Amino acid sequence: MIKALELTDLVKKYKNFEAVAGLSLTVAEGEIFALVGPNGVGKSTTLKMIATILTPTSGSVKVFGLDASRDAHAVRELISYLPEEAGAYKNLTGREYLEFMAMVFLKDKARALAAAGEGGLLSGLGPRLGDKIKTYSKGMARKLLLARAVMIKPRLAILDEPTTGLDIVNGYEIRKTIKALAAGGMTFVISSHNMGEIEYLSDRIAVINNGRLLACDTPAALKTRFATDDLEEVFIKLTQ
Amino acid sequence: MNIFFVLLKKEIKELLTRQLLFTIVATLLVFQLIGGLVGSHNKASAARSGIVLLDLDRTALSGRVTKALGGGKAKLTLYAGGGIETALAAPELGAENSFMVIPAGLEGELKAGRPASVEFYSRFKKNASGLGPAMSASRIRRAAQAASAEISAWLLERNAPGLAPAFLMDPAPAREFAVVDGRTAEVSLAQVIGFIQSQTFFFPVAVFFIVILSAQMIMTAVASEKENKTLETLLSSPLDRRLLVMSKLAAASLIAALLSGAYMLGMRSFMAGVTGLGADPSVAVAAAGPALAKLGLMLTTSGYLLVGLSVLFCILCALSIAFILGIMAEDVKSIQAMMTPLMLAYLMPIFIDLSTAHTGLKVLLYAIPFTHAFMAPQNVMMGNYSQVLWGIAYQAAVFAACVTIAARLFSGDALLTMRFRFPGSR
Ligand SMILES: Nc1ncnc2c1ncn2[C@@H]1O[C@H](COP(=O)(O)OP(=O)(O)OP(=O)(O)O)[C@@H](O)[C@H]1O
Ligand SMILES: [Mg+2]
Repeated sequence: MIKALELTDLVKKYKNFEAVAGLSLTVAEGEIFALVGPNGVGKSTTLKMIATILTPTSGSVKVFGLDASRDAHAVRELISYLPEEAGAYKNLTGREYLEFMAMVFLKDKARALAAAGEGGLLSGLGPRLGDKIKTYSKGMARKLLLARAVMIKPRLAILDEPTTGLDIVNGYEIRKTIKALAAGGMTFVISSHNMGEIEYLSDRIAVINNGRLLACDTPAALKTRFATDDLEEVFIKLTQ
Repeated sequence: MNIFFVLLKKEIKELLTRQLLFTIVATLLVFQLIGGLVGSHNKASAARSGIVLLDLDRTALSGRVTKALGGGKAKLTLYAGGGIETALAAPELGAENSFMVIPAGLEGELKAGRPASVEFYSRFKKNASGLGPAMSASRIRRAAQAASAEISAWLLERNAPGLAPAFLMDPAPAREFAVVDGRTAEVSLAQVIGFIQSQTFFFPVAVFFIVILSAQMIMTAVASEKENKTLETLLSSPLDRRLLVMSKLAAASLIAALLSGAYMLGMRSFMAGVTGLGADPSVAVAAAGPALAKLGLMLTTSGYLLVGLSVLFCILCALSIAFILGIMAEDVKSIQAMMTPLMLAYLMPIFIDLSTAHTGLKVLLYAIPFTHAFMAPQNVMMGNYSQVLWGIAYQAAVFAACVTIAARLFSGDALLTMRFRFPGSR
């Protein structure tokens, strides 16, 4: 069976600094896969290479069998990427933003309007969708961007710290949405610093340090391996 | 194509904020207001002060001079209270700055064939500013000429009766002809120069507004998309990158055209208010129109088309260069610093005379694509069509190169990893 994502000996150098140093892993379709690790170990860099906006220095990224460098355009038809700390067009309203982005991805007016309508529901912003984005709070903007990322029903959703800045209720709702979408067959690659969230959401976890893979398994298997029932302890033991 | 308009609409919505609209309206109002105020101030000060005439001679001749001056433009005040010292000290003449004295015995001296003089006094105030001093200088010059003409006429009538004084004073008046490219027409030199200047100065200023405004807009648009990471999202979408570049270029030029239209309108009413000449400076040369046309100086339709094309490519070059600078900009704040070299490159050809510059400088100036747009009206006027066409070709090449570079930057890592900083801008 074709893998949703396959990284092989992936390396990314910024000038002389190796941010990602030989990463290999695979993600199956419908899986929620989490990248965890301390700050600055190359999580976002890896996600950007999967999202086709950075080219690997060496190694390869394959999305549903397509090479992210050579078949970048075909890969872009399958993915949706949410950058960390992303913003939106401040002078558009929430609804205008969703409709614009749906048009960019789907190129068909009827389909775009339907997707934007669904995005509006997913965002949970209700009547505030008619307001300009510059009047939104940080969490509201984040919910809008998350809704944007999944409303177009990508085969692979790449979410960089999706719930950062969200309150408990909203974070909970977003997690439920992600789980439901994955049950419907959407594949997720996310990065996060919230161990509770990772444990609840992800089927498998990759722990990364200094651009290298330290461990890659289900949360339960990792906890057994380190003889603890706290995922944070696993994380600390691995990265020390 | 459909998606292009979706992109264009979004760009315009992002750029055309309420604040920008407010700026346009405010600019128009400020220009209008200042123009009106300055204009009415100048008119008022012109009306307030005229010439104070002290006739100490009180003869038939001085009466004639007084009458001739009274028919002139400046307001004439007759003062009979004494000599120049008392006039200067008189409180009721405190606002007057120009005084003319016809000394006692003028007629007698002239009748006896001895030269004599008429005196002019100009009072300067330490806090004088604006156009006041210049206006009183021209007032005095006109009065002196009128008085001198009248006195000469009086002398001629006495000594050469039967001959018209006007004929004697200027028996062979000068006729001015201008020669352009072998074509000759009767027109005053001042009018030709005025016309050429209006074409070579007002025109670059108008283009300058469009270029700077749109360049700034497009840089801000690119840099803010970068800062907000909305660009990363767009780049991970299956959208054609060239569409992305083109929609930004198109939106910025559309709004820039609107803005510069507003500025030019404001400028016009400002100039009209200040000069009191009426809205169009070309009205002054309109009378010379047929002569200028005969010289081939008026642009024909195809001439205008050529100039327009050159300006269009000038704007496109500026926009695409600004686009690249925007990609390299660290964030929106560094835009101001990035604008400076672009503005310098633009202004250089305005202030340096190409015909006298030495070769190295000339090559440098011709390498700046904007130069060709400035030269276009002059070249078209002078019939150097091939030079204009070569200029357009060069501009088109620069534009194509810049778009290629921009698209290349868009598809590589550079957009995400390049950080361009000016030393000192932190
Ligand atoms: N454009 C760049 N130029 C140079 N170095 C960079 C660039 N972007 C990232 N890096 C470096 O690469 C390393 C990995 O960065 P990355 O953003 O992938 O980390 P991360 O794991 O996402 O961290 P965080 O948890 O803080 O988001 C860091 O050391 C960072 O300094
Ligand atoms: Mg990160």
